[in-house]
This record gives sequence, structure tokens and C-alpha cells, in this order.
Amino acid sequence: MATSVTIHAPNDRLRPRRLRVADEHLQAVLDGKEYLLFDGGMGTMLQDAGLKAGACPELLCLTDPHTVTGIHAAYVAAGSEVVTTNTFGANARKLAEGARAEGLVRVPSVAQVFAAAVACAKDAGARYVAADIGPTGALLRPLGTMSFDEAYDLFAEQVRAADAAGADLFVIETMADLLEAKAAVLAAKENSDLPVFCTMTFGEDGRTFLGTTPEVAAVTLSALGVDVLGVNCSLGPADVAPLARRMCAWSTKPVLVQANAGLPRMEDGRTVYDIGPTQYCDAVGDMLDAGVTVLGGCCGTTPAYIAGEKALIEARAGSGAEATERVADGSRPFTVTSAQQLLSLAPGEVGVIGERINPTGKKRLKEALRIGNYDYVMGEAINQEQAGAQVLDVNAGLPEIDEPATLVRLVEGLQGITSLPLQIDSADPVAIEAAVRAYPGKPIINSTNGKQEALDAVLPLARHYGCAIVGLALDEDGIPGTAQGRLEVARRIVDACDQQGIPREDVLIDCLTMAVSTNQQAARAILDAVRLVKRELPGVRTVLGVSNISFGLPYRELLNATFLTAAFEAGLDLAIMNPLSQRFMDAVAAWRVFNGEDLRAQAYIAANAGRTDASAKAEKPSASSEQQEATAVASTPHERVRAAVLQGRGEPVATGVAELLSAGLEPLALVNDVLIPALDEVGALFEKGTFFLPQLMASAEAAKAGFDAVRDATAASDAQPKGAVAICTVKGDIHDIGKNIVKMLLENYGYEVHDVGRDVEPQAFVDEVVRHHIRLAGLSALMTTTVPAMADTIALLREQAPWCKVMVGGAVLNPEYAAMVGADYYARDASEAARIAAEVLG
Amino acid sequence: MRRGRHWRSAATLRIDRTLLPIDAIPRKEVLRYLGYRGQALSAELDARVDGMMARVLEVARPLAALRSYPVAREACCDAPPAVALEGTTLRLTGDDAARHLTGAREVVLFAVTLGAGVDLELRRLALVDAVGQVVFDAAASAAVERVADAAEALVRSYAADKGAFCGWRFSPGYGDLPLEVQPAFLQSLDATRRLGITLTPGNLMVPTKSVTAFVGIHDTVQEGLASSCELCSLADFCALRARGVTCRV
Repeated sequence: MATSVTIHAPNDRLRPRRLRVADEHLQAVLDGKEYLLFDGGMGTMLQDAGLKAGACPELLCLTDPHTVTGIHAAYVAAGSEVVTTNTFGANARKLAEGARAEGLVRVPSVAQVFAAAVACAKDAGARYVAADIGPTGALLRPLGTMSFDEAYDLFAEQVRAADAAGADLFVIETMADLLEAKAAVLAAKENSDLPVFCTMTFGEDGRTFLGTTPEVAAVTLSALGVDVLGVNCSLGPADVAPLARRMCAWSTKPVLVQANAGLPRMEDGRTVYDIGPTQYCDAVGDMLDAGVTVLGGCCGTTPAYIAGEKALIEARAGSGAEATERVADGSRPFTVTSAQQLLSLAPGEVGVIGERINPTGKKRLKEALRIGNYDYVMGEAINQEQAGAQVLDVNAGLPEIDEPATLVRLVEGLQGITSLPLQIDSADPVAIEAAVRAYPGKPIINSTNGKQEALDAVLPLARHYGCAIVGLALDEDGIPGTAQGRLEVARRIVDACDQQGIPREDVLIDCLTMAVSTNQQAARAILDAVRLVKRELPGVRTVLGVSNISFGLPYRELLNATFLTAAFEAGLDLAIMNPLSQRFMDAVAAWRVFNGEDLRAQAYIAANAGRTDASAKAEKPSASSEQQEATAVASTPHERVRAAVLQGRGEPVATGVAELLSAGLEPLALVNDVLIPALDEVGALFEKGTFFLPQLMASAEAAKAGFDAVRDATAASDAQPKGAVAICTVKGDIHDIGKNIVKMLLENYGYEVHDVGRDVEPQAFVDEVVRHHIRLAGLSALMTTTVPAMADTIALLREQAPWCKVMVGGAVLNPEYAAMVGADYYARDASEAARIAAEVLG
Repeated sequence: MRRGRHWRSAATLRIDRTLLPIDAIPRKEVLRYLGYRGQALSAELDARVDGMMARVLEVARPLAALRSYPVAREACCDAPPAVALEGTTLRLTGDDAARHLTGAREVVLFAVTLGAGVDLELRRLALVDAVGQVVFDAAASAAVERVADAAEALVRSYAADKGAFCGWRFSPGYGDLPLEVQPAFLQSLDATRRLGITLTPGNLMVPTKSVTAFVGIHDTVQEGLASSCELCSLADFCALRARGVTCRV
């Protein structure tokens, strides 16, 4: 459990912010004590002024500043205190696109556009100039092709330009992707000291296009350290009001709302909005009552709307904005988020952190991480979620792997299959930063401890990236033996967090579980320490890795569950444990009845009514009787396995393989004489058109159940993969289904498949081939436009990995194209790819 | 209910993000995307296809944005063929678009998408269920075409209100209308803001189950449409039939 932390050069990104606030009024706004009025929709006004759709509105700051200034001035006259610059899409990517569309020879720089835009706002008499930063226009990985760093760089360029041009604050707006919003917020915080406002846009279902709710946005952006957060665009004000209310409930910052003037429609070639200023302001009044303190408008709102809002604010001027209600430290909930999900635990409620994604002592997981095959990890994640885990701990600490890179890939992969928030588990600050920086949510960092160097290295990460943090109650002298000793270390950690400005409810103290088999006083010391920490350090939460308690004793689950219950009584908030242990989860469910969290014991009753100690868990549904007969007719286990592979049924394959193994058949013979011939038979049926694609795949999947059974039965030394294949979908192409089919089939033939992903840079692919000296590469492309990227990748392979054979496939490929791009083989389908692999690798 | 020859001005087109829920996916189409040619299907596979079709309907959030633009009358005879539109920088380039829009006064552009939820689910399935991913992908492809049918039906109805007639829908990437028109096409619909549709550097749309298309609005009945309502793929979404009229007279 001892942690060592390497000290790295001071990280300038992490320096504490010294906010530059224009004047006292703006400061009062940031404190939630006064109202602030923005302006309305720029796009609508520009279109009324004759701007064509598809044209780049930002260029008008340079080509027609009078029009832009005129629009700003109309808003100022209506009462806007803040003028938003005409720079929504003024990033290098969109400007280049816009300039090309308009046939400009020279693309204006981001700095030029911001300088002109800020000048327009100032000329209009703006009290404050808000530098507008909209989305990049491209979707980030993994769904899109833009990397987090590319997005960050685009935003950082805008931030520096706006700051240099004299803006007073940033408004990052109309964000649908929490990760993109995070990239923009970090770019703002790390490249300027001006206040950051950030709004997201939601649909009728109360989620952004990427599934983020107002609660998740409010918690994540608050933690990330934006100064004002809110909702813009989206819908009309009546539909935005409930979203704003939900944000106010979870935000620790003032809330900004800029709704649309209802829904637009075309009438005689003109765009008309269906909600007028009076109706609009009625709805806005409700939002002020709900706690919104910063106002403005979006699409379709003209100066008339802003004038109405101005009147609303003035009517309340006497009373002043009610400061966002702050609850006392001790009663704030503990919160963590993923992009789609909020976990909130009120004081007294308990949570479960799944511990199983950790290679320590797990051979298969270790191997999977080493070759970058994450299927196994994904299975662990799904099982834990289904068993009731609320957070997943993720650890990739192996001496022989690149921990930062592996952790980042794991975290990205896990987000594809679970919406549970993650706990980033590492002792290496570099790995921690890499993982939390590009995490779309508020994760937990596991961990820091009482050593000064660990506090210095990790706490700034937690503060800067808005994370909850686990602090281990140990220091330079090791783990204190007494409860009082652990409290003293905990106090030092909490003091350091207080100094950094990390809220108490984000601090989780781990009093460290020791085995009772080596020291029977250990259990009492741990429980007392938990109790002391909760009493002496109000607001702080506690966490424990529970199962250490039973180390060295038999029937560990009983000790674990009993200790867990005692720990809950002592004040444990979150247990790091194996949620697949039924007894553990039973103890959690029972405790939630006793602490009142499970209201009227409904969940407990639903799960346990009619259950007795003797009854097994629900049985899996059995296969249809018709097919059971079909399998039963096949007399020998060998025959049954073959029949089940052909039928695409995994379970009978696994049982048949187990039978054959216990009857003494050699694993290698089983693979070569039973499973592979069955797969070959399926391939032939596919060839003839007797099977179509899903049947081929279902059979491959069934065979996989057999291969898994063989592997489980084989000692590590015997598991000899047949050879490695690297595959990817080439740069520029995001269609990966064909590649995934090939991957599946090759794996089921026993090859070690290195799946480098989709939209893959040629050099990244070649690096993987060289690193593992892989002898066969498979490249896939669906679009004619991406075939050149295929040729580039092959050329690079020939240069740096001349030993490697190349097969290509994909919808647009044919044998002629394959030859043209320089491939050795053309794989018409997945079945053909498996034959090529057999030829090259044997 | 007889419609006159003169265009009416009362017709309105809702242009914002519009929910276009679909309640069914044509199974035949799903199987066609999967390369099905009448093979015997096991009960398991049958159930899997049904399950994935249901899953698509569950996670899809079908949205559309529409907008009409008048065709610009500009001299364009020696230049490469292109149809320019008033009020947008978009030019529908190529012979196919020009032929398709011969005589059209107005063009309605639309974009539809099933939303990022479908892409997230595809990604999840890629990690946990490769067969499921392939079937789900086919079901989603069939579903987004249904949403495009629903959007096209809105255009037919809009045209009928005007006393005008539609051609069939045509999409960038078909014939010689290149994908390079996609940036201006999507901007003309404000589709990134309204629908969340973005482009990759190669002009592919993400979310991937998205369709852009245009429909010409003409003075005269157009060739190439379904000859009866029974054969028309838009019939389920047609507002005209409910009123006892058709788009062909």
C-alpha cells in the first residue's frame, strides 16, 4: 500500500488563478450578490441585416464592422451591460473553412478577428466585453475524430487572442459535449485570468445531444472552477425554466440563462419566432425567482427582449439578487459525475466503489492490458455495474506497461460501456493528470496521502481539474498504529485541501484497512479512526478498501461483510470492494435499510422477498426445446460442439469443450481438430451463401465460448497464441464495423489481435506493428476518399516494417484497388481475412 | 380542396429542430442491409434482429431540421453546372443536381439524425457484442431512412399547401453531387446547433446515422415518384392522405 510519488517540474498549468475582475459590480455578480444582463441573439440580427446562411459571420468584424457595432449598440441602448463579441465560430478551423467558402485568398488570423470583434463591442459602448467562444464544430473522440488536445489548442488560441484584445470575460456557450466544454474551460483557465462563464444547450428531453443532464453539467462545471454556469439556446424560456431550476439546485456558482425566443418557422422566406418579448419576460421572471442571476437571450431575441429583461431586473433592484443559497459544509452531498450520470450521496448515505479493474494479482487482466486488448476489462466493468457498483476504480499500475497511456485508453474505453463515474487509481501524478484532464466529468482521484511531496503533487491536480480526492492516512513514518495517529495524518491532509480550496465534501479519507490475522487490534483501530475523522473533521467523507481485513483467514466473505457493517456504523461513506460478492452487497442493502436510505425498505423487499438462504440465484433462461433436441441428437461431445458452433450457440459449446477436456483431450487438439474445423465449415457455408453475415458472426461468437473454456483450463505456460495481427480503420475513416468483424473472427481462430482503432494515423499504426514485431497487418476503409490514407499507411509500413504483410478490405476496395495501394492481399470478407492469416502466420 | 396554379404564400415550414418519432423499422430493409438472401433463420437470430430493432427505437432520438430557399436565377451556362440558392452560399454542383432541379423554383433542404445515442450504443456494442453491433447498425440505417421519409413527407405537405409539386429527395454523395457541399449544406440548416450534426475532415457526418437531402419544389408534377400511395414509402407519414388529397394532382 506504500505509495511513492515522483516529483516533476512545477506545472505552470496548475498555478492557482488570480482572477482579474473588471470592477466591483462584476465581482458582486460573481459572488451571486447582483444581477447581470447580457445581450441577445447576434445570428438573428445579422441574418435580418442580410447575411447569407453558410457565410462566415465572424469575418464581418473585419469586412463590415459598422453593421456589427450597430447591432451591439442597439443592445447597449436596450440595457445590456455585457456585449458578446461576434466570435462564436472564430477558431482557426472554422475561419479557414469560412474564408475558403468565401473565396478569400488570405485567411484572417484568430487574433485579427478577436481584435476587430472586441473593438466593435467597445465602440458600441459596452460596459463589459464578453469574448464569445462557441464549439469547434467538430465532434471529439471517441465518437468524432478531433482529439482533446486539438480542441484545447483551438480554444487556447481564441483565449489568448481575446485576452490580448482587451475582453473582460469569456462566455463559452452552446456546448453539447461536456468534454469539449471542459477543453474550452481549461484553455481559458490556463491561458488567462479573466472570469469564465460557460453555458450548455439542452433538448426537449432535458439532455444535451451527448446525453449530459443539467445536474451533471452544474456539478462538473462548478467543480472545474467556472465562475458562472448555465443554459443557453436550446428552447423557449418556458421550457428552459425547469432546466435552469435543476442547475440552480446543484450549482455552487451563479447561474446564467439565455433562452431562444421560442421556435422558429419560415414564413414567406423569413424566419419568425413564436414567443414575443412580454411572454418571454414572464418566463424569465420565474427563473429569477428560482435563483438565476445572470440573464440574456439567444436565437430570435432582439433588443426589445433585452429591454424587457432590464425592466425585470430593475424592479428587483431594491431587494438585490439573492445570493445563491449556500448550505453549510456538513450537509452538502458528496458528488461525482460521468458525462451522463450524477452520483450524489447525502451525509449518511453509503456508496459502493467496484475494485476489480486492477491488475495486481490478476494474470488475465495483466496480459490483456499488456497487449491492449480491453474486452476482458470491459466485461469486468459491466459485471460490476450490474452487481450494483456506483463508481468504478480503474488501476493500470504494472511495472512493464506505459501507465499514463494505458490509463487514458482504459478510461476512454470504459466510458463506451458504462455511464458510472470513475475513480482514477494511480500513484503516479503524470498518469493521474493524463487520465483526469480528458475525463468528461468529475472523477475521484485515488490517491494522495500525508507525505508532503504527495500532497504537493496531487492536490493541485484535484483542485485544477475539479476532482474528489482520496487521502490515505499514512505519511513519511508509515501507517500510524492508533486511531489518534491516523486522525492526525488525516487532519494534515484536510488542512492542505482547505488551503487549496478543495471543498470538504470532495475529500475522502482512507483510514487504511489492515489484516486482523496479523494484528487483532487492527479492526478496532480502523473503526475508531473512521469515527474520529468524521467527528473531528466535519464535512469530510471516508472510504475504505474493506477486504484486506480478512487476509490470511478462511471464509473471508463473512469477515468482510461483518466488518463492512461495523464500518458503516462507524461512519464509512464509500466502500471500495468487490461488488460481485453477494454477501458484501447483502450487507450494503441491509445497511441501507437501517440508515434509512432505502425508504420503507422498498429496494430490500423487492430484491429479497421470497428469498431463502437455500435458494440459488435466478437461473439463466434455457435454450428453446427445439434446439436442445437438435443438439441432443448429436451423440458425441465432439459432434455437439460442432453442431452448436454451426447454430451459433455459445453455451453448449462451452459445456461440450469442458467435457472433452475432462475426458482427456489435449487443448491444442481440441482447438485444431474440433473448433477450427467447425469454424472452417461455417466459413464455407458463408462462401456459398447458405449463411449470411450475422450467422457467420454468431458462429464465431459461439466458438469463442469454446476458446475461452480452453484458455481457462490451460496453464499460463501452454497458452501459446498462434501469432499476432494488427488491424485498424485508416485515417479519415470512422466506419469500423467491418474491421470489428475481422477482429472477432481472427480472435476466434486464436490469433492475438492488436486493434489500433479507427481514424488511425499511419505512424501510430506502424508504431504498433514495430513495437510488437507483428507479421500481418489488416487495413480497412469504407470511403473512396480514405483509400489514399491506406496507401500512405502501407508505404510507411514498407519503410519501417518491411517484414510485415498487408491485407486490405472494405466496401470500396477490390483486387485492383488493393494492388494499386500496394497491399499483398485483398480480403473480400472476414472469412477470407482468416484464410490469409492462416497462410501468413500458419 | 382543389389547388390552384398560383403559389400561395400562406404555407409555413417549421424549421427548428423537430422531433420525428418513428414507431417501426421495416424488418425487410434491416435484413437487406445485412446481406440476407432468404437463408433459413434460427429462432435465436430472429429474436436478435427483433431485439436490436427495438433497441434502436429505444435509443434513437430522431430529429429533423428543414429550410427552404428560392432557386437563384443566374446566368450559368458556360460554368460547370450548379444550382445556386438565394440567401445561402450553398451551391448544388454537378449535372445530377441541375437535372433534378430543372424548372424548380424553390428547394427545401433537410437534415435528419438519430442522434449521438445511437453512436454511443454502437460503440458499446463494439466492445461487448460484435454480432449485436452489426445487426444494430443495419437496424439504425433502416431507421434513419424512415426518419428521412418522415421529413420528406413534411416537404410534400408544404409543397401541396403552396399548390406546388415535389421531386424525389437527393443527397450529397449521390451521383456527382460531392460531399464537399456538406459544410454549407449543414450551415444552411444550422444543423450543428439544432441537431448536433458535425462533420469530420472528410465531410462524413457524426452522428453517423444522419441524412442530408434536398427536394425541389416545382410548378408541375414530377416524374419518378411512386405512382400510387400504396407504393409510396412516405405513406405512413403523409398528412395529405388524411385530408383526402394526394401529392400528384
